[in-house]
Amino acid sequence: MANELRFLVVDDFSTMRRIVRNLLKESGYTEADEAEDGVVALHKLRSSNFDFVVSDINMPNMNGFQLLTEIKKDEKLKHIPVLMVTAEARKEDIVMAAQQGAAGYIVKPFTKATLEDKVSLILTKLGLK
Amino acid sequence: MTPDVHQSIGKLTRQLHDALNGLGLAEKVKDLTGEIPDAKSRLSYIARLTGEAAEKVLNRVDQAKAQHDYIATETRRIGSLIVKDPVAAVAKGHVMNFLTDVEQSTQLIDQHLTEIMMAQDFHDLTGQVIAKVINLVADIEEQLVQLLIQTAPVDAVVKAPVPEYQPVLSGPAINPEGNPDVVTGQSEVDDLLASLGF
Repeated sequence: MANELRFLVVDDFSTMRRIVRNLLKESGYTEADEAEDGVVALHKLRSSNFDFVVSDINMPNMNGFQLLTEIKKDEKLKHIPVLMVTAEARKEDIVMAAQQGAAGYIVKPFTKATLEDKVSLILTKLGLK
Repeated sequence: MTPDVHQSIGKLTRQLHDALNGLGLAEKVKDLTGEIPDAKSRLSYIARLTGEAAEKVLNRVDQAKAQHDYIATETRRIGSLIVKDPVAAVAKGHVMNFLTDVEQSTQLIDQHLTEIMMAQDFHDLTGQVIAKVINLVADIEEQLVQLLIQTAPVDAVVKAPVPEYQPVLSGPAINPEGNPDVVTGQSEVDDLLASLGF
């Protein structure tokens, strides 16, 4: 079941989007799409079905916090877990992400094991694994 | 340097100092000057990160190539054994051992390739830092332009556009050690979230 989940990877750097997608694929999650900022991500989320969002924070047009807020106030999207993967290492940012409803928080640079563990933990908590 | 030149430079410096004070720009210029060391440490961070990434990639490539060479050598050796005596090659376990070796080597090569891929994250991290340094340079430029505008003749003044507000995010922590406001790694993130009940 978990392998059929559809991921949306949001990051303004194409390199990072590829890395996260490849890592998800190596972990068995083969269904993934990409968005380069929050605006594009929100459009994709509203026009297609996704089960999981992996999002950067520092992005142009709409940053990760704004995207998280939009997702959580949208009745049709708020059930989707959002895992923040970011270079923002300030404690206040981590606390803010948690308070706004993020399912998890990973600081860059990260390892393959960290991403695998966090995704697995979130899916288990939600009963999707 | 002749005394006259020295005296002229001193006079110009005094005029600039007075002009900045008179225009209320002294504090702003002082603030920007204070950001220069930060820009230096950001550039050092870029140099360190790119250096580490290059080192990591080269090390992993060396290891992957060694595994690759091993498979190539073993393939030739087993091939010749099979040509010489196919039954004995199987019966003595040479073929089975070879298959086990190939499987182990490909797993190791896959790990090296994953690490090479992960090393490319420097692009994202350094890109964010470079953007911040560019912003600093643009800020200095803007202040200098403001200085020019304010010291230009009245009829030559053109009002500068007000930049659009952008929320401030700090980006990668350049020197996290000793800074209580930032985390130094994923374990601290996990501890912080756990303390909040997440």
